[in-house]
Amino acid sequence: MLETFNFRVILEYMPLYLQCFTATLWLSAVSLIGALSVGIVACAMRLSQSRIVSRISGIYIESIRSTPLLAQLYFFYFGLPSLGIRLPEAVTGILALTLNSGAYYAEIIRAGIQAIPYGQIEAGIASGLNYFQRMRFIVLPQALGLTIKPMLGQAIVLVKDSSLLSLISIMELTRAGQLLTSDRFMPAEGFLTTAAFYLVVYYILKSISGWSEKRLIFREAH
Amino acid sequence: MISFKNVNKWFGDLHVLNNINLEVEKGEVVVVCGPSGSGKSTLIRCINRLEPIQEGELIVDDMKVHDKKTNMTQIRAEIGFIFQSFNLYPHMTALGNVTIAPIKVRKVKKEEAEKLGQQTLERVGLGGKAGAYPAQLSGGQQQRVAIARGLCMRPKIMLFDEPTSALDPEMINEVLDVMVDLAKEGMTMIVVTHEMGFAREVAKRVVFMDEGQIIEIAPPEKFFTKPKSDRAKLFLSKILTH
Ligand SMILES: Nc1ncnc2c1ncn2[C@@H]1O[C@H](COP(=O)(O)OP(=O)(O)O)[C@@H](O)[C@H]1O
Ligand SMILES: [Mg+2]
Repeated sequence: MLETFNFRVILEYMPLYLQCFTATLWLSAVSLIGALSVGIVACAMRLSQSRIVSRISGIYIESIRSTPLLAQLYFFYFGLPSLGIRLPEAVTGILALTLNSGAYYAEIIRAGIQAIPYGQIEAGIASGLNYFQRMRFIVLPQALGLTIKPMLGQAIVLVKDSSLLSLISIMELTRAGQLLTSDRFMPAEGFLTTAAFYLVVYYILKSISGWSEKRLIFREAH
Repeated sequence: MISFKNVNKWFGDLHVLNNINLEVEKGEVVVVCGPSGSGKSTLIRCINRLEPIQEGELIVDDMKVHDKKTNMTQIRAEIGFIFQSFNLYPHMTALGNVTIAPIKVRKVKKEEAEKLGQQTLERVGLGGKAGAYPAQLSGGQQQRVAIARGLCMRPKIMLFDEPTSALDPEMINEVLDVMVDLAKEGMTMIVVTHEMGFAREVAKRVVFMDEGQIIEIAPPEKFFTKPKSDRAKLFLSKILTH
């Protein structure tokens, strides 16, 4: 079987792959920064004293989490132009990934914050620390330690989800595999190469996750 | 120093503080006891407005705690609060725990706060544990760090909510000893506790609560030997059989 595997064609397509790999990386990176920002805001809103603010954020989070990313992507790609809003494909793709992962990040951050026992917050209140000081010095340092793993997990999901952007004809890793397949009828070579590149990103994020677990999670007993 | 005048508080339908009147003078030590659920925690939590009151007047160090417009930050800085479950910050060392509020609330310089923190830890017998994390300390040690955390703010008042009831018996005395020292140095203290030895040694008065009301206020000797109310008699007979 390996004799029929065409390494030469992979080499030939390598410049295209590298270009598409770069695209996947920057699309994911921009979406990740966006998603973290959206997640922080949505989480703050979700935990707000105001019922309405909390409810708005709740509706956003629930509607994202209950529908497929592909449907959300198509909504932005086909739906927005029909409403008269025309965006470049890359912007549409980043928007969909950002809003999608943002909802998951909101929930991850919320779980981290709510895992901090309320007694510690009361101790902070009793000593005169204000809301932002309590967040900054008591809640967030611990929540970060608790959430770093699920956060990186969601980053891995986001990178893999960016493959869906190939469906709105953005040039990225999965699209490179599709091109090799349709140009040369070599789906095995095309998609295995694509998979290898995703594996690289996955491995890097996973290593960061393992490293951060040792560094960031504060000392438990002993 | 602390003055409750006709204070009422409800949790929904539950009348948790029922017409409370209580004056605590500067330097006085008051012990509060009573059955579980009688409102003891709520009573002292109102003093730094961890719980707001709904009716009456509550004046602490000449400031109106009952007035929603009163800025609580300053009053809270003057009051140390010790919880049953310690509530230390687990991601900070003992020294970090005791210096955070002086640095952030009192705006003391870090070096100065750490010097004070170290001294205060020594005062509670934990000079060698400054670098330890809460999880590395025993319950008694954690509670003493919590007391040091309160003391580092140089408070005028210290409030204790059952400070020894989460501790193993052999650790209770190391915490009570620190509290007795504090009392003898003239700290104004309200202590929710059932430790009769402590009450007898340092308390000027015992406040007995039941169902949100203050039933009886008496000097400890008198309260423990000749309680007036039937409810206090019943309560004492229960804790004495333990
Ligand atoms: N945050 C709260 N919300 C509703 N009920 C409460 C709350 N805190 C305390 N209670 C109720 O108020 C009563 C008095 O509670 P507490 O002051 O903790 O009593 P104690 O400290 O004497 O055991 C109890 O019945 C308790 O269940
Ligand atoms: Mg209580």
